[in-house]
Amino acid sequence: MYKLLLIQKYLRRKLAPMFAALAVTLCTAMVIIVISVMGGFLDMMRGSAKSITGDVTIFASFTGFPHYESLIDDLDALPEVQAATAFIAAPGMIKYGRDQVYVVREVLGIDPVGLDAVTRYSDAFYWTQQHLNPDGDIPAELVPDPEELAMHFNPPAHWTQGNSHIRGIVPGIKVYPWNIPDDSGQYHLHGSQLGRTVTLTMPRITTTGGVLEPAVRDFIIVNEFKSGLHDVDASRSYVPFKLLQEMLNMDAAEEADPETGEPTGRTIPARATGVVIRGAPGVPLDSLNEAVTAARDNLQHQHPDMPPTNVMTWEDIHAPLLNAVQNEKGLITFLFVFISLVAVVMVATTFSMIVFEKTRDIGVLRSIGASRWGVANIFVGYGLVIGIIGAAAGLTLAVGIVYNLNELQDLLDAWFGWRMWNPQTYYFDQIPERVDPLEAGLIALGAVLSSVMGGLIPALLAARLDPVESLRYE
Amino acid sequence: MPETVNQTSLLAAKSLHKSYRMGGQPLEVLRGVDIQVEAGEWVAVLGASGSGKSTLLHLLGGLDRPTEGSVSFEGRDVFAMGGKAVDRYRNRKVGFVFQSYHLLPELSALENIAIAAMVGQSVLGWIGARSECRRRAAELLDRLGLAARAKHRPAKLSGGERQRVAIGRALINQPAVLLADEPTGNLDAKTGEQILDILRGLHRDGQSIVMVTHDSKVAAAADRRLTLDGGRTRG
Ligand SMILES: Nc1ncnc2c1ncn2[C@@H]1O[C@H](COP(=O)(O)OP(=O)(O)OP(=O)(O)O)[C@@H](O)[C@H]1O
Ligand SMILES: [Mg+2]
Repeated sequence: MYKLLLIQKYLRRKLAPMFAALAVTLCTAMVIIVISVMGGFLDMMRGSAKSITGDVTIFASFTGFPHYESLIDDLDALPEVQAATAFIAAPGMIKYGRDQVYVVREVLGIDPVGLDAVTRYSDAFYWTQQHLNPDGDIPAELVPDPEELAMHFNPPAHWTQGNSHIRGIVPGIKVYPWNIPDDSGQYHLHGSQLGRTVTLTMPRITTTGGVLEPAVRDFIIVNEFKSGLHDVDASRSYVPFKLLQEMLNMDAAEEADPETGEPTGRTIPARATGVVIRGAPGVPLDSLNEAVTAARDNLQHQHPDMPPTNVMTWEDIHAPLLNAVQNEKGLITFLFVFISLVAVVMVATTFSMIVFEKTRDIGVLRSIGASRWGVANIFVGYGLVIGIIGAAAGLTLAVGIVYNLNELQDLLDAWFGWRMWNPQTYYFDQIPERVDPLEAGLIALGAVLSSVMGGLIPALLAARLDPVESLRYE
Repeated sequence: MPETVNQTSLLAAKSLHKSYRMGGQPLEVLRGVDIQVEAGEWVAVLGASGSGKSTLLHLLGGLDRPTEGSVSFEGRDVFAMGGKAVDRYRNRKVGFVFQSYHLLPELSALENIAIAAMVGQSVLGWIGARSECRRRAAELLDRLGLAARAKHRPAKLSGGERQRVAIGRALINQPAVLLADEPTGNLDAKTGEQILDILRGLHRDGQSIVMVTHDSKVAAAADRRLTLDGGRTRG
């Protein structure tokens, strides 16, 4: 009982333990902030990756695979599958204006409604009706709604200038390199090519890889998308599935005899290069993956001449990027935990000093009957209290900072013109503001334990003191 | 009162030896000290500086271990008991009073007295005993004429007041014997006399006291005087 009294008194009277507690606070806060921001960053990337990719994807080679419709029917019948849609992915070049041509690694032919059911396609649309009518002074029915346009790829008449055949395209926001966001990560209409006509040029090959004339076609940009993954946003554009299928000669056709050119009376089935699948709610990714693979194998069985396809989960697809960030998070956290050993040393130093300073008092306590371990416990308990105070303050500080990081950044920007988070570099407009309670709790617990550890050596010092010598000590 | 054969002294030391090792060769401070203290007795131990008076007192109080010999309390060998029992012995059976008071500077006068009671209590025990301890500590303060000083910390007290608080601390657990090491050594004659008066009062109420001093005038207050010389006692 006297231990509690003394711990309380020593806390009240001493500045040094407050510094030790401060060191614990700062180290706790530091590690929690680092792990939270890195974890938040990773979460955002995972979220983006998942929403842009669907859960599981079946890929074929560039020449595609037939019977995808019956595969989708099979998949839709599976309880594990919520939705599935086919796509065609092929490389292309996009020409802006007269002479600016950029490579689009993935021109994706999609069914917008189908894709929206699988990935959150429409969530990534950047432009809204509001962008086109910022003051709201034009009647809504007169203003095109880019979000709606992107759902059917039909540009409004006044954008097409009478060309009713022209369809829409939805490029990633970074496909056009001059589309540069401002400091806060926002894009502006004047830098965008929304509503402009672009020309898409796509190389074409036969099913056996023979080279054909490239397909060339004009499109109007009806919206742009921003997924949060730089790589995707810089290299992908969406166009209507059927249109791309026709452009690439992947639609159903009459087979012709290669020698005579006469029709053989058989049809070549339409092809897609892949199918994206969304799992039913609550279905684990592995089970979905197995079910999809089984359906694919079954199709392969029915059509032995099918080209090989590959089944990948969204995690597999993004593994190189996500694993890199995950490793980085682990490494940085380790470094900061290591740095935090400073706090342990601080506690040990402070307490050792107190033990030296209190040598005589320790002798007095022994003379009134305190045991060695009782005296040692004062310092362990002291470490515990310092640890709890420090960790609680650190946790509070960290939560306060993490949930206000963006405001804090704005302040720093206003005062010093310095932005720690540049959206152009990190690609997300906002610093992630999230603290994982489990992670934070474990770190706080670690801080308390470290602090106790720091008190342990001085405690042993105190226990080892000879009471008679201590009493002689001045 | 008829003396029985196996009547034991309250506190007895038999052929106590204590030596320190100083740079290889042993320094023998005590070379076979025998001493008996009966219940209610006040014994003064005289001796020159460095004769080993404090050392003897520490051994009697279980604060230090003899190199040879034994200390027994009510017939039981103190150092044959486990470490915990020696701690309890210091807490319950003896009360130390030191020359330079040795109060804990962070605690108030009242807390300095109460802490000796707290040492013997677990947290739960303390909850039960708390009010009783506080009452006893306040009562002691009152008896020592320090009621108005209860909340003062040692730095605010005079030497005599500090020593009175130290006596209060030594008494709170109602020890069988008070071990006073030059209790007046740091005080002027008048204040020293006040402290001696307190000890006289306690002795009158039946308190056994072992007091160490080099001052024969102070020693005169005791029932019996012993002199430590050359590591042994002379009666
Ligand atoms: N830890 C130690 N190591 C070596 N020598 C010691 C130690 N403790 C005490 N001594 C020596 O033992 C002798 C007796 O010391 P002690 O303090 O018991 O004497 P004392 O009679 O109380 O003296 P004083 O009247 O000055 O208080 C002294 O010579 C002292 O130097
Ligand atoms: Mg002495």
